[in-house]
Amino acid sequence: MSRVLLVEDNEMNRDMLSRRLRKKGFEVDMALDGAQGVEMARSGAYDIVLMDMSLPVIDGWEATRQLRAAPETQTIPIIALTAHAMSGDRDKAMDAGCSDYDTKPVEIDRLLLKMNTLLGVA
Amino acid sequence: MTEVGEQAQLRTLSADEVATLRHDMRTPVNHIVGYCELLLEDAEGPDHAARRERLEESLRAVRDALEMINASLSPGGHDVTQRDVDALYDRLREPHARIMESMAALLTPQDHATVDEEFSADVRKIRNATEQLVAAKRSASIEPAATLEREVPATETISPEGRGTILIVDDEPNNRAVLERHLERQGYTVVSAGDGAKALEIVQRASCDVVLLDVRMPGMDGREVLRRIKQDPATRDIPVVMISAADDLSTIAACIEAGADDFLPKPFDQVILRARVGASIEKKRLRNLEVDYLRQVERVAEAATAVERGVYAAGSLAQVAERGDALGRLARVFDSMAVGVKAREQRLQDHVTNLRREMDEAKRSAAATGDTQEPDDGALIPGELFANRYQITRVVGRGGMGMVYKARDRELAEDVAIKTLRSNAMSDDPTVVERFKTEIRLARRISHRNVVRTHDLGEHDGAYYVTMEYVEGITVRELIDMRGHLSVPSTLGIAQQLAASLEVAHGQGVIHRDIKPQNMLLDPDGVLKVMDFGIARLAQHTSTLTQAGMVIGTPAYMAPEQLLAEEVDARSDLYAVGVVLYECLTGALPFEGASPIALIAKVLHTVPVSPAERDGSVPLPLSGLVMRLLDKEPGGRPGSAGELRELLAELG
Repeated sequence: MSRVLLVEDNEMNRDMLSRRLRKKGFEVDMALDGAQGVEMARSGAYDIVLMDMSLPVIDGWEATRQLRAAPETQTIPIIALTAHAMSGDRDKAMDAGCSDYDTKPVEIDRLLLKMNTLLGVA
Repeated sequence: MTEVGEQAQLRTLSADEVATLRHDMRTPVNHIVGYCELLLEDAEGPDHAARRERLEESLRAVRDALEMINASLSPGGHDVTQRDVDALYDRLREPHARIMESMAALLTPQDHATVDEEFSADVRKIRNATEQLVAAKRSASIEPAATLEREVPATETISPEGRGTILIVDDEPNNRAVLERHLERQGYTVVSAGDGAKALEIVQRASCDVVLLDVRMPGMDGREVLRRIKQDPATRDIPVVMISAADDLSTIAACIEAGADDFLPKPFDQVILRARVGASIEKKRLRNLEVDYLRQVERVAEAATAVERGVYAAGSLAQVAERGDALGRLARVFDSMAVGVKAREQRLQDHVTNLRREMDEAKRSAAATGDTQEPDDGALIPGELFANRYQITRVVGRGGMGMVYKARDRELAEDVAIKTLRSNAMSDDPTVVERFKTEIRLARRISHRNVVRTHDLGEHDGAYYVTMEYVEGITVRELIDMRGHLSVPSTLGIAQQLAASLEVAHGQGVIHRDIKPQNMLLDPDGVLKVMDFGIARLAQHTSTLTQAGMVIGTPAYMAPEQLLAEEVDARSDLYAVGVVLYECLTGALPFEGASPIALIAKVLHTVPVSPAERDGSVPLPLSGLVMRLLDKEPGGRPGSAGELRELLAELG
């Protein structure tokens, strides 16, 4: 059973996505902002991070950089989620150290495929 | 508000604002998609078929909405204006309605499915998100809306003139009350009508800026009211906004085709109401400006007609002239020009009046001394029928080229002047004769109050004759001879009319070639009539110098280049004008010679004494202008008759 850290400030997004992932068999924990996300990820309890990029306190880009900078979270898969769908967002996310990238609205099957690929399940 | 509203409409959103807006709109979209999918995953089995159908329909609707958002707010796309954003919100109403309808159905127990608490909570979340999708407008159009609020606080009383008068036509009292309250709070003056007939009565009686018109009404419905408003020229410029239920799109389309300017869907959304009413008021304001502008353009055109008729009153355009734009400038320039033209005309009139006085005095003294026309020794006797058409009345003059008679044209029952051209005065060179005919043809076209109208060229008994308009009056020659010399105003009166006649003739390609006081008639009103345009063309130039005193009369009025049989142009006529004016002012010719040869030598080589030197009462500028006209080089004279007329007008 994979453990997922969902870093998302929007309550409805959190509710929706966490419920859908749980239904698919994931264990989901949630962080409400970038700083909390980094702190929780450092515990080493998660297999993958789903990171919203527009976050309060520190945003997803910065949180990702911090995770990549710390030895204990250097290799954890991070999927960036962004609602902007700007043409440069994908490159920006990869540059920041994300493992993959997806846009909102989340297509659950597509997201699952990406997650499973990174988790080596597929 | 309207101006602010217009600016707000056209304002281009910054890239950041567009990004924020896109984010704000996509967030509820994401929620709708997410929850619909979530509920779909749970809605398995035959019991949930109806539920799945509703959810799938909602998903289609929300994806439509997403497409609209992406199309309108695409990153790196075209500039986005507030108007685009408003249009997007308008389009979003449709998917919004579809989702809301589905959600309402989902909350009503159907088939065998039960509606549990968790499910209803999720449906409510979808409904909230859906509402947020269109309600986002309130927070999205942040800036303009905020500006409007600040500019026009709802609680303040605004003068009716400031915002405009709105007529609400709706048979439903509640609708009227809601609209009235909204609009009055925004400072509009509101008038209401409960039916179409009342509405038309108000529209025709009062000045409304916008009409909000319900489509469905008992009796005369909104479409008929609209048709009548748009049919009447007095009311057709008033913007009409149709009030209609949102599902009545075909009716709205028909109304827009019939001239409606916009529509307002029920139930009323305050923001939409404000935007549409504001836009319509602005439209009316612009139309008012346009109508006003056109009216003022018309005033300028009328002023031009008035100038032509000589009835322009200075300052008639004062109101138009106050405008700060190009039309205002046109009116100001036009007014000052028209005033200038009028002053000139007045001066000319004064000169002509002077001229008439001198003519009358001359006639009186001539009568007193018993000076009469010499008895004629011409070939034609009064009463004789000439060329089988003209009955000779009397001899009116004689010149180097032939006799001038007054005669009655029996065919047209009209008095005419006939100038016979002695055959020995004419060139026998056929090309010269041909050119002469051409010139007469051109001269026939000249129609001007200062030109004696040429009627026809004929040949009789081997000699040519020209028929012309008969003018009762005296020649300038006779006037000078009777008066000795003329006053400055009379001379200017003659000079300005002479220049005007030449300007027209030269414009038609006709050079006179024989301007002299004998060819210039003054009718009893002091109107100068120049005759014999084109006729001198027939003269035998070669004989001028050899056969003294004949053919073209005296060479005293001929320009040096003409005497030398060089190229003759309009400026040669201007030289002759110089001689005529010299003679008017001083009673003498600029050059006198004992013989034609001596005279010609002086014309070619001597500078004359100026009119002012001869007579100290001649103003120096006028004297100087005469001397310029007498310049031996055409290039030293004014360039054209038009230029001469301007120079004379400046002299007064």
